[in-house]
Amino acid sequence: MTKPRWWFLLALVVTLAALAAVGCGGDDDDGEAGGGGDTGAATDTGGGGEAVECTASIGIMGPFTGDAATIGQEQLNWAKFSVERFNEENGTDFTLVEGDTQLDPAQASTVAPQFVSNDDIIAVVGPAGSQEIDAVGQIFDRASMAFVSPSATATDLAEKFETFFRVVPTDADQGPTDATYMTEELSAKKVLIVDDQSSYSTGLADQTATALEDAGVTVERESVSQDQTDFSALVSSVANDTDVVFLPWQIAANAQLFGNQLAEQGKEAIIFGSDGLFAPDDFHIAGSFVSSFAPDITGLDDPAIQELAQAYQQEYGDFGTFGPPTFEATRVLMTAIHSLCEEGEEPSREAVLERVAETDLQDSILGFPITFDDTGDVEGAKFFIFEVAEGGAFELVE
Amino acid sequence: MPRIGTDEWVAEQELRTETYSGLTAPARRAFDRVGPGPRFFAFLAICAIFPFTTDSDFLIRVGVNVLLFALLALGLNIVVGWAGLLDLGYVAFYGFGAYAYAWVSSEQFGIHWPTELAIPAIVAASALLGVFLGLPSRRLVGDYLAITTLFFLQIFVELTLNLDRLTLPGADEPLNLTGGPNGIPGVDPMRIFTIDLLETRDYFYLLLVVFALAVVGLFYLNNSRTGRAWRASNDDPLAAELMTTPVARLKILAFSMGAAMAGLTGTIFAAVQVGVFPQNFEVILLVMVYAALILGGAGSIAGAVLGAIVVAAVPEILRTPENSRYLFYGVLLAVLLTIVRPWKRVAFLAGAVVLFGVVVHEIVAAVWPDGVAAEASAGRLGGVLESWVVLPAENRTTIGNVAFVVLVLAALALTQLRGDARLLFLVPTIYLAAFVWENRLIAQPSVTRQLLFGAILVAMMTTRPHGLLGTPRVENPI
Amino acid sequence: MDFFVQQLVNGVTLGSVYALIALGYSMVYGILKLLNFAHGEVYMIGAFIGYFVLTALGGAADPVLPVALVLVLMFLAGMLGAGILGVGIERFAYRPLRNAPRIAPLISAIGVSFFLQASALLLFTAQFRTYDTPELIPFTTGIDAGPLRISLVRILVISSAIFLMIALWYLVNRTRLGKAMRATSYDREAAAMMGIDVDRVIVATFFIGSVLAGAAGVMVGLVFGRVFHFMGFVAGLKGFTAAVIGGIGSIPGAMLGGMLIGLAEAFSAGYISSTFQNLIVFLLLITLMIVRPTGLLGSPVLQKV
Repeated sequence: MTKPRWWFLLALVVTLAALAAVGCGGDDDDGEAGGGGDTGAATDTGGGGEAVECTASIGIMGPFTGDAATIGQEQLNWAKFSVERFNEENGTDFTLVEGDTQLDPAQASTVAPQFVSNDDIIAVVGPAGSQEIDAVGQIFDRASMAFVSPSATATDLAEKFETFFRVVPTDADQGPTDATYMTEELSAKKVLIVDDQSSYSTGLADQTATALEDAGVTVERESVSQDQTDFSALVSSVANDTDVVFLPWQIAANAQLFGNQLAEQGKEAIIFGSDGLFAPDDFHIAGSFVSSFAPDITGLDDPAIQELAQAYQQEYGDFGTFGPPTFEATRVLMTAIHSLCEEGEEPSREAVLERVAETDLQDSILGFPITFDDTGDVEGAKFFIFEVAEGGAFELVE
Repeated sequence: MPRIGTDEWVAEQELRTETYSGLTAPARRAFDRVGPGPRFFAFLAICAIFPFTTDSDFLIRVGVNVLLFALLALGLNIVVGWAGLLDLGYVAFYGFGAYAYAWVSSEQFGIHWPTELAIPAIVAASALLGVFLGLPSRRLVGDYLAITTLFFLQIFVELTLNLDRLTLPGADEPLNLTGGPNGIPGVDPMRIFTIDLLETRDYFYLLLVVFALAVVGLFYLNNSRTGRAWRASNDDPLAAELMTTPVARLKILAFSMGAAMAGLTGTIFAAVQVGVFPQNFEVILLVMVYAALILGGAGSIAGAVLGAIVVAAVPEILRTPENSRYLFYGVLLAVLLTIVRPWKRVAFLAGAVVLFGVVVHEIVAAVWPDGVAAEASAGRLGGVLESWVVLPAENRTTIGNVAFVVLVLAALALTQLRGDARLLFLVPTIYLAAFVWENRLIAQPSVTRQLLFGAILVAMMTTRPHGLLGTPRVENPI
Repeated sequence: MDFFVQQLVNGVTLGSVYALIALGYSMVYGILKLLNFAHGEVYMIGAFIGYFVLTALGGAADPVLPVALVLVLMFLAGMLGAGILGVGIERFAYRPLRNAPRIAPLISAIGVSFFLQASALLLFTAQFRTYDTPELIPFTTGIDAGPLRISLVRILVISSAIFLMIALWYLVNRTRLGKAMRATSYDREAAAMMGIDVDRVIVATFFIGSVLAGAAGVMVGLVFGRVFHFMGFVAGLKGFTAAVIGGIGSIPGAMLGGMLIGLAEAFSAGYISSTFQNLIVFLLLITLMIVRPTGLLGSPVLQKV
């Protein structure tokens, strides 16, 4: 039996030492993740004119690797973009700390205590998935850490957790809106709902199914997995008298394939997608409809939003529907922290939490002002229906 | 009572101790003198003190994760290491234990069993399930068994995702067994003999107790008749069968015990996470448990624990850019120390690299000022590195990508060189590594984490195939 | 009847892709008794290479060369790139582990798989890439005779897969290299003693297996459109499953296993339920394994006493 070579023990010692460094670095304030130095001690505007010194870290949790990385990376890039612009415009010094969860609640419940232990982090963007929020909600509640999710839509989350906010409306808003459009404008008598086995999808599918059935429409349910390569078998079994196929999916590219295969097999059903499909670069089946919570993410009308979208595209590439809410979620937090700095107050987690609850962003790129109700849900959100024209452009129809 | 196979090792002890040399010799001699008992006790003592050295909930949570992994690896060790069965469905038992605990201790069905009843019941149920899974092992061998057990895992994942809308004939409401993609959140905390386990720290100690019991139990199991019978049937099943060892029954026993351990770990996991979700039990977890076991050395209890520490702790260190920067340069140094001997050469090499870097930096600064304009990421080393590494302000991503590909090719080419050529080629390669790190990798810690972890796995396996603490075996090359 | 034929076509298309991936697994296993878990990532890289070649040639909407030539180039580039990658992986991640316990190269393969996935994420970002095949070859072209309705792309994919499989069969059974491969997989030591350069044979095996995976990647890009960093994981699992179902180590077995899985998926999704598609397929496969423990065409494992 050979004993381990001494250099393995050395590697092990290095590993343990580094882990200890994590522990020590995580506890106190020096040099960890921020620009070094104090956490947001604000100096009065005596010296530097407009800019008030404001340093803080914002954590972001999401699936940055793994099979949901397309969603997570878009969210991360928009958050980085948001921080860059805010820092430029306001002279602040905010940094982003990443916490990769791969949409796994077990990883999320390891990242959350890490953020809580890191005294520099005073608020969190994310997590992305509703089930992750179930796992970490208590941890953030106990630490009075505000966390704003840009994408979780399960209906009961805001009530369950006090420090939870979200900038997107819930399934309870989207489902009935979509159902109404399908019954009234598209005169659908028979609808096939296909969910993709994620919690977002099944929640929304359930809400829409209930709304449709209440209106007397025949509803069939199927589901697919997000990893599935091929949908042609399901497409073949779509009945010829199905009017609408409702796809509350998260991955727009999957829906594009589904739509291609529908056309390939000569099926006439119209595709109706939820906000997950609002990604003009990935999904562009002419004649389909997509619902979204923002009237104007791609900046079709508003030049300011257009400039923003183009700046983003130059730096990071194309985007779909998950990015802009993350931009706003990050901005909500930064605005809250900045307002505390300007008043000369220490941005602690409790103070930020109070401020976030009072958020009132009138000029959000999502097209509606962002304010929160008592539980943390965003107020006044409604859904807009877009039609995909020939050539792939999205046109607002309602 | 002489222990078979051990006495020879004991007899050779003196000879072996005499051959220890170098700096670590006294430590190793002392280490050899104590038996496995005191060593394990010392390890446990360190673990027990650990939660008091820090008030960071995160570190304790990492400790909990390490212990969970260690228990999983120990259970897998029974099946894979001792009995030699490739079980790719192991995580299904973990998941079953977790879901079963959620069924009997949450609002899902409104049942709230006392923990003292729930845990033994679930362990027994997992063992039974393990027997059921072990039944195919009578007919299937090797990779065919592997694939069948993998199917069980896939079936388990599918069931957890879809059993929330099961419409049984004659029922009005669909049956919701597993909560579907949303899982079962809000599981009761454990309560053992009137002690409520509410904090992460409490679960750490619970896991430590379970871990200690498991290690002791497995140690004795390994040295018992059953353990020897497993080893015999692993080495040569036909011979073992002819020597009246009931190979088929032993296989099922191995499956069952592994399943029981996984089920137990699952219940504690469900309580720690305060919920149970299908995303917890995907194939990626299986891969990590196997990695832990094999890195540490399959067949060795200490190996399983060591592997679990590496697999659970290293990705957490790699999360923050600053820490992974230390780890990166630290590991670079450690690797240098191993491939370049003696250490004077390493010092010379380090000096050469620094010089090379400074020269390159100056040249680039003179020729193309934009090339060194950017700032290094924050951190204590950042300032130092800024004047050494070339940090272009424009096109950082593209340059970084190209440099990354070149680096990978260069590193591979390095493994083929020898002697002075290797030393010479090492200098620019190390500088290139620092360049890629500072410019590209450090900006994307999550991706870098996976990158480094994969590289570590490959490096560790190619240099030490039988794991850190495993015994080198020579397989029959067929 | 229409429906049946439609599902048949779906199943065969999917099955061809799985078969090509499974072949790589089976060949490598036959020679080295190694399960190459990095094979799925090779397939993914092949798909990406095809995408980049397509973009370089002007993209699907506006290619600078005639469509047929573009396709040929995509295939060649994807296959060659994947082959070189496969050879590289063998050289650096598996060769040092030639005499190690069977399970060690498994972990090395997993490490390579993580590394390649993360590299793809780093270099290509997480965005989905698509070949935009309908722009290149409109899917209205194709056969539309009675119950049979196949688009040109599918015909292309199925026929290339069959062509490649026939080419492989020819290679393995009618050439000297093939004979060497068969000999090495039967008994490596004896083959070495007979003057066969075992290293070269192994390299050739990896190359051919990876070439097939690369072709599968390009095909998937053409028919199913989505190319992203994680696609290799699931496809690799399915390919591995197909190889074992067919009898691991057996080349016709891999082809059969792939087809079987593709057809099973198509028919269970079409006739029973898409929701429980995976479940049904797995149950079927378990039954198959219990009924025939060494796979469909696998040879019974000989116990050497």
